[in-house]
Amino acid sequence: MPGSGQIRQLKRRIKSVRSTQKITRAMEMIAASRILKAQARVRSARPYAEQIHEVIKGLAVSNEVRQHPLLQQREVQRVAVLVNTSDRGLAGAYNANILKVAERTLREEEAAGRHVDLYVIGKKGAGYFAYRGRQAHRIWQGISDTPAIEDATEIAEEVMARYTETELDRAWLVYTDFKSSLTQRPTRMELLPVKPTEFEGGSELPTAEFIFEPDQAELLDLLIPRYVEAKVFHGLLESAASEHASRQRAMKSATDNAKEVASNLSRIMNQARQEQITTEISEIVGGAEALNE
Amino acid sequence: MTDATMPLEVVSAEGHVLSAEITELYARGVEGEIGILPGHQPAVVALDVGAVRAVLVDGSDQRIAVHRGVLFVGDDGRCIVLADIAELASDIDLARAKRQQRILEERLANSSDASLLASLKKQQLRVDLGEG
Repeated sequence: MPGSGQIRQLKRRIKSVRSTQKITRAMEMIAASRILKAQARVRSARPYAEQIHEVIKGLAVSNEVRQHPLLQQREVQRVAVLVNTSDRGLAGAYNANILKVAERTLREEEAAGRHVDLYVIGKKGAGYFAYRGRQAHRIWQGISDTPAIEDATEIAEEVMARYTETELDRAWLVYTDFKSSLTQRPTRMELLPVKPTEFEGGSELPTAEFIFEPDQAELLDLLIPRYVEAKVFHGLLESAASEHASRQRAMKSATDNAKEVASNLSRIMNQARQEQITTEISEIVGGAEALNE
Repeated sequence: MTDATMPLEVVSAEGHVLSAEITELYARGVEGEIGILPGHQPAVVALDVGAVRAVLVDGSDQRIAVHRGVLFVGDDGRCIVLADIAELASDIDLARAKRQQRILEERLANSSDASLLASLKKQQLRVDLGEG
């Protein structure tokens, strides 16, 4: 019978769609629980950055922060672009969106005749640029899922060292800003040079009262890199939260799609089965009639 | 000064570590040991890799491993320890720290990398504090 083969095929497809649905549903739920964790990490990292900023502002009032090597504005010839992508896929348009912003930054800088050094965080970004034949200056993998402060420090130190040696004149940090679980915005932030305006408006720490150990200038030398590290860390954490949010959404729509496909397929299968039954009955009836005659 | 206290906040890059009312605070600054009692002159002190010891109001000790930190004493008497990494002695995984220390020591046997040396120093501090 032609019908039964078709039915068997449909059954197999329904089964496979359903098992895919189970996987995507599981991934969706895992991502959902990890968003909360990642969000909590973003929140708990905030006080540190704020406090450091406050102390620097207090020190900056009476000190010439402009002298600090990380605040030196130079004519821009070499630019570092740090791109924050994920290690794993199945996160919807997360990587595509961030890479679009990165690509735009690269184009802009290169159109202005500047040399760009690419720093890539995440396997997906590394793959993207390798495929397009663009050599990355350095690649970090395995940190974008749950970034630790050590990772941020390593990244920041590499860029800051090259900036201080005047091998770089500007650094962009391209990351995804986590607005809410529904909106994440690919963003780029000028990491270096640090703008002197960022440290304005502090209330001065009265020098006569305060003990500074070591002196104020040296303290600033210690704190400004911490501030840059905190910024990188913030970018990493925001990106991680965004990645989980994107994955959750992508997996949710995959689950919904699977549900729809499965229900369409079972409708077709039922129809085929009914047709088969109808054909069988009419054959039997036809056969019986033929015997009667 | 028996009943004088001051608030202490320990904030690491990863999050809030400790917030307590204390009576004494000892830390190792880059220029030497420093002790803070309530009513101390305002100060900003860069901290070395080392232990910060705080005496809580109930007289118990709280020890915190601090890597690359700053101690801020405000003119209102509050103390803030800001550090890349800050761990309470009770949160340190001693077995893990010892393991890491061994690995680093083995690697240092064949090379003398400055960053390895710094990591070893960190782990040593962890082990010291973990053992109490």
